[in-house]
Amino acid sequence: MTQASLTEVNGRIVAMIAQCASGVRAQDIKPTHRLREDLGLDSVGSMELLSMLAEELDLDVPVEEAAQVSTVEATLALAHRYLAQKQA
Amino acid sequence: MRPTAEELNVVEPLKSSLSQVLRRVRPLEVDQEHRLPEGLLAELGELGVFGLTLPTSHGGAGLSAVAACTVVAHVAAVDRSVATTLGLHLGLGTRGLVAFGSKSQHERWLPGLAEGRTIAAFATTESEAGSDVAAVKTTASVDGAGLKLSGTKVYVTNARLAKVLTLTAATPGLGGAKKGLSLLILDPATQGVSLGAEERKLGLRGSSTCTITLDDVSLGADAVVGEPGQGARQLEHVLSWGRLLLSAGCVGTTRVSLRTALAHVKLRKQFGKPLFGQEVVQRQLHAAAAGLFGMEAIVTRAARAEGDFAALARLTTASKVFCSERAWELCDLSLQLHGGAGFIEDTGVALPLRDARVTRIFEGANDVLATHAGLSELMTPLPQSPHAAMAELEAALAERRTALSTAYGVRAFNRRAALHALGRAAILRDVAAAATSLASSPGELDAAAQLRAQALAAVRLPLSDEVPLPFLERFLEEVLS
Ligand SMILES: Cc1cc2nc3c(=O)[nH]c(=O)nc-3n(C[C@H](O)[C@H](O)[C@H](O)COP(=O)(O)OP(=O)(O)OC[C@H]3O[C@@H](n4cnc5c(N)ncnc54)[C@H](O)[C@@H]3O)c2cc1C
Repeated sequence: MTQASLTEVNGRIVAMIAQCASGVRAQDIKPTHRLREDLGLDSVGSMELLSMLAEELDLDVPVEEAAQVSTVEATLALAHRYLAQKQA
Repeated sequence: MRPTAEELNVVEPLKSSLSQVLRRVRPLEVDQEHRLPEGLLAELGELGVFGLTLPTSHGGAGLSAVAACTVVAHVAAVDRSVATTLGLHLGLGTRGLVAFGSKSQHERWLPGLAEGRTIAAFATTESEAGSDVAAVKTTASVDGAGLKLSGTKVYVTNARLAKVLTLTAATPGLGGAKKGLSLLILDPATQGVSLGAEERKLGLRGSSTCTITLDDVSLGADAVVGEPGQGARQLEHVLSWGRLLLSAGCVGTTRVSLRTALAHVKLRKQFGKPLFGQEVVQRQLHAAAAGLFGMEAIVTRAARAEGDFAALARLTTASKVFCSERAWELCDLSLQLHGGAGFIEDTGVALPLRDARVTRIFEGANDVLATHAGLSELMTPLPQSPHAAMAELEAALAERRTALSTAYGVRAFNRRAALHALGRAAILRDVAAAATSLASSPGELDAAAQLRAQALAAVRLPLSDEVPLPFLERFLEEVLS
């Protein structure tokens, strides 16, 4: 994946996070933010986010793996791992 | 509820003292006058009921959740408004403080709460944050060494009685959290806190329900309960207790309603014999008794999980949905069996039905909770029950769960109708499992078998989201025009 498309994908993911975490602006979201404590998503909200992400980027992410994700960083890593798998 | 012998030793004498005090409560008067009898809460306070579940270190009785549920059910069998006032205090009103409060917060607030000198309320709902609890707009901003709190909370139970209010607020930047919610505790007499008019309601009319407006309320940093920014997690725990005691109230209301129905059908003669002689009526009461047994079983099981936050959250979701729905159905059956007399307010038969209606809405609307139950079933399936009788049901549910996650992976979390159906089946499975382990008499064993069969039927229902809705809006317009 090129740097430009990497940045574009990250931007899309962060926009989705901002959409799920109402009241948070995309530009304020940092990789270290925790979905629950820092962005106010409850367990349902986190799963909704990962589900939306899988839908938008057309990724087949198993439930068990998604359930482990708790930070923005981990969300990005998960998405990139499955994007790479899809392109391989 | 099934208290242990040890719990019964405490609960039984308390129940008889309660019966004495509650003797003067006239539910229809409470309903018509929209208030509890003068001085009743002080008398209840003297019995120690407001401190039932509060720690003994601060004047409470330190009783188990099962014991508290037994008492709340007993009170609800007399009057649901009284039970709601008490249950709200013991559950939503004080659990945040008990579980997450600091030593100094405990010292400041708990003794008065335990004695019933101070009644507790809890406020999270806002006009734009109902089922979507994370959308809370009430905000506490850092202001010097303290906080400034502004916002409006709606439908606050016990609002007019409360001298202690716990609420959720967004606390941006507090404790390093970006947006997290926090739990705050305050005295509603603090400057800037104001109370709206009493809401006029379908039921629970003796229970106070008002809007609370918070206008630049100055609070010390010690108003934050527990770790700042952890409000979402704390809220889950507080709501678990709220749902538990609400479910116990449903058991009491349903029990008294069915008792009235049974007395009526034994007396009332039509077609030359008592209504109880009709096979259809017998079968209705047979199913009703199984439903009531299921309610008791799931409340007991949920209450026994009080030390395990995750299990408590799951089981109280199941108990709240099941008990509120059975309460509605069974109070409605009671009304139906009373015939025309059931519809006449002065007989008092309709009141439990009106009182029960809101329990399907508050503390999480049931369809929202059922979807949550589906989510947790998908994320963290339960270990197998030790009861062989549960095997078929569990296997069928596991098959359904696996089919969903294999077909959609994490995308399953956005298949709301499928999750809702899975959650409803999982709730019935939890009830069936609780009933199966509690059952011992022939009637109970039969009831448990009925509940397992109902759960199995729910598991085998076709997925509602497999039926497409292409014409929905147009068709709605057609039929509604
Ligand atoms: C008498 C009374 C006392 C109350 N006491 C308190 C209290 O003490 N403290 C407090 O904080 N709050 C209290 N509440 C508020 C109560 O908890 C809320 O009313 C409840 O959570 C529902 O929120 P809402 O009214 O905004 O309904 P909405 O969120 O607008 O939902 C309306 C309906 O839409 C449906 N629905 C919504 N979302 C979904 C979904 N995702 N999936 C499927 N269906 C959905 C459900 O059928 C729901 O009933 C009280 C309410 C009442 C009526």
